[in-house]
Amino acid sequence: MKILIICMYHPELVHGGSQLMAHELFQGLREAADVEPFLLASADHNSPAMFKSGASITGFDGRPNEFLFLSQNYDYAWDKCPSVPLAEAYANFLDLLQPDVVHFHHFMTFGADYFTLTRKVLPRAKIIFTAHEFAAICPANGHMRRRTDGSLCTQASPVRCHQCIPARPPEHYFVRDMWMKTHLTVIGRFTAPSRFMIGHYAQWGLDPAKFMYVPNGLDINAKPIATTARRKRNRFGFFGQLVDIKGLHILLRAVALLRAEGFTDFTIEVNGDNLHFATPEWRAEVEAFLAAEEILPLSKRNVVFNGAYHHGQLRARMARVDWVVVPSVWWEIFCLVISEAWAFGRPVIASNEGGPAERVTHGKDGLLFELGDARALAETIRRACTEDGLWQSLAAGITPPPGRAEMVQGYLNVYAETPLPCQEDLAQ
Amino acid sequence: MSEGAPGAFDEALYLRLNPDVLAAVKAGSFSSGREHYERYGRAEGRPTVLPPAAARDRVVLNADPARYVGKSAAPPGMLDHVKISSTGGIYVTGWVDDSRDKLVSADLYFPAWSISFSAASMARIRRPDAEAAIGMATPHDCGFWGFLYAARPLPATICNAVIRLQSGAELQAVITVEAMEDDELRAAALSRLAMAAYVGEHYTSAVQSLEAAIGRQLLGFNKALTQRAVQAPYVERFGRHDARYKGSVITCLFGNIELMPVQQATFAHQRGMAAYEFIYVCNSPLAAEPLLREAKLSALIYGLDITVIILSGNAGFSAANNLAAQYARSLRLLFVNPDVFPRGADWAARHDAVVEALPAAQTALFGAPLYYDDGALMHGGMYIERDTAPRFGPHGCAETVALRVEHYGKGAPPDTRPYIRPRPVPAVTGAFISTARGWFESLGGFTEDYIFGHYEDADLCLKSLQAGCPAWLQPVALWHLEGKGGARAAQHEGGAIVNRWLFTKRWAALAAQGLLGPHPSHPALVVAE
Repeated sequence: MKILIICMYHPELVHGGSQLMAHELFQGLREAADVEPFLLASADHNSPAMFKSGASITGFDGRPNEFLFLSQNYDYAWDKCPSVPLAEAYANFLDLLQPDVVHFHHFMTFGADYFTLTRKVLPRAKIIFTAHEFAAICPANGHMRRRTDGSLCTQASPVRCHQCIPARPPEHYFVRDMWMKTHLTVIGRFTAPSRFMIGHYAQWGLDPAKFMYVPNGLDINAKPIATTARRKRNRFGFFGQLVDIKGLHILLRAVALLRAEGFTDFTIEVNGDNLHFATPEWRAEVEAFLAAEEILPLSKRNVVFNGAYHHGQLRARMARVDWVVVPSVWWEIFCLVISEAWAFGRPVIASNEGGPAERVTHGKDGLLFELGDARALAETIRRACTEDGLWQSLAAGITPPPGRAEMVQGYLNVYAETPLPCQEDLAQ
Repeated sequence: MSEGAPGAFDEALYLRLNPDVLAAVKAGSFSSGREHYERYGRAEGRPTVLPPAAARDRVVLNADPARYVGKSAAPPGMLDHVKISSTGGIYVTGWVDDSRDKLVSADLYFPAWSISFSAASMARIRRPDAEAAIGMATPHDCGFWGFLYAARPLPATICNAVIRLQSGAELQAVITVEAMEDDELRAAALSRLAMAAYVGEHYTSAVQSLEAAIGRQLLGFNKALTQRAVQAPYVERFGRHDARYKGSVITCLFGNIELMPVQQATFAHQRGMAAYEFIYVCNSPLAAEPLLREAKLSALIYGLDITVIILSGNAGFSAANNLAAQYARSLRLLFVNPDVFPRGADWAARHDAVVEALPAAQTALFGAPLYYDDGALMHGGMYIERDTAPRFGPHGCAETVALRVEHYGKGAPPDTRPYIRPRPVPAVTGAFISTARGWFESLGGFTEDYIFGHYEDADLCLKSLQAGCPAWLQPVALWHLEGKGGARAAQHEGGAIVNRWLFTKRWAALAAQGLLGPHPSHPALVVAE
């Protein structure tokens, strides 16, 4: 069985959860019996060195079965790639490869109409779409977080979307909705790594019966971190992208509140990058805090900025902390950081919505606090630092997260259970 | 002359009795009143002595008033612009305070030719800027503009412009001519029509502007531009080249192609839509590149058969669609606006069923219920209203009549049965019209006199009704994001004014025969519920 995995960006070029999972799946499928996987990952202006003159699709760094789709001039308002040569190259690529399954992990940088193009070129292929966020529903980066007041959005509509992005009239969002749903009709099976997502997509109008739940799985290869007998468990880590929705600002505000109360016996280690993708306002707040921290004497610092980390450095970074904080201010679909923390035996303190709320059981394997509430987080941090036996209890409650093998098997089940396109669809 | 001393010339008295001479002396035109008297005053019979002291509380004639008519100084005013297009459109604007001395004409003298715009042929409008400049307290239509289509190139760089008034007074200036392309001049004139301020009600006054001459001139000019725009179009076909179809979907674009990919996607996913072809006719050559690109993508992604027709200029809705119809390869034409989308996955099948199952008289020309994005009804057919307004002039009171078309059920709940039930209606919107090609051609297609778009859809429907088949509303509902398929500028508003005026001229008589109002009594429209 030939399986083509399609994702936005190659994880070697741009970090991100959906491409990481797509690549993990690709790697895992290589070990599966009777499966020949291929990867088609996009690159765009963020990776100009990847472009080759006149090419639309190329290989990637000498790796077998890995290809780059060189996306250009992508229209984010319509989620559409306007290039004819790119579409022709993609169609030729499919025609040459003749995959039995085309598994999209994103449509951005390709275009929603590439679902339909795939069906046109491969009328008998199974087309799978894994939603890693709500990009099909929500034009505000797929976050379903209202730009008007920062609240979580539970229902997209032309007027509500217009309120978030007033530059376009409500009719634009009505038509965008049609555009998306029209192309999604060719999808044979949808998958989501969190169950709550399926409800959102169902409310949007997709058939929940076409969804399957497949949790993300990482090949973390976690060697256990030796447990020390320290009594204090007052070291906290933030892992992830330094962008608004990840909520680092909530954590920094919690630090400020604790300091104001005179409670300073803790450290926060910040690990991550991609600050340039953050909004200027958010970036300014975070940078100002970190700059002020930088000039304090070491003994007075509560926050340490470690910068970016590679997968191979994860163990060392995890070893420095007792807890992992996930202060995200959006739905946080699955939260791979939770899997990473659990893989190293670190309990999680997380916002109480979306993926984290679905995965973390408050008081059993972690602690939840009210999303966006810096004071609630400050109180939780103080409790985590001061409550005897809490860390040990929660650490003991951790269930090992799903690994790559489980995820791969989950998707193999999806491929097997997805029906072939019916004759009626083919006739259409 | 002096008071009581015959023969002596009294300088002060002469200047008192002849204020225009006093002004001329002060301006330096004459060194003294005496000089004026010797050169002109004596011959003109100017008064030099006071009337008798007993002559009080009544008008005293010091000289023959008739001799002074036409001798007054010209009132303030100026000719602002003279614009001439490459094929001989002439557009002139200016203003003059003729509240006391009526404007007669604006005359333009060029090296090899001249033209006189009579006041009767020109539109009169308010000029708030001029009113402010001369301190005019009462609103007055002191502005004027004229348009004439000479239908021949006219060499022109500068001209002597003369504004003539009834008194014989003149305002003269040398004007540099603004040369421009024909479509720019059309835009300038139509924008002026739409944006002008009037002393009276806007539409009635604008129509009055058109009545005398401008309307006819604009129609002639536009017709010439339209004919030129549809000559030698660029045509490219994508997809199959030898197929026959159940229908030809024709969409007229005015430069904005943003919604075209969505329209293609939504139609392409309809069951049975492969039996239809698509024809996009574009009124803007600037949109050629993206339109051809999108057509190529659509053919690749959806496998649709698409014909793209690019015109060299804006031929308007009627001529563009008529031309596109000639390229159709089916016997059924579907005129569909770019902001119209099928409602429901079985739209094509429903359309097929209507065409194939219903009597030909009910499908010769039909429209459909159209819906806004918010779910409300936007269109359930159209009816005709008649507006009237009094017009006062030197010969008494006259009436301005204007027909207007209104949509049944605009904004109504989606399932309002009286509006969406199949029935004959006075007209349907051009946003969606399905018509038998033979019938459409027998009607002569859309009337091409209309400028840009507006009213040609109702015009086609009334031609159909007059020929024996009223337009019908049939249950093939679509979405219509009215007005979102292209931007409207002032010139389009001006075109709409001209079109309404033209529609009224063409159809007022027929409309009076039982076609007016939402419940017309015309026998062709009365069917059992």
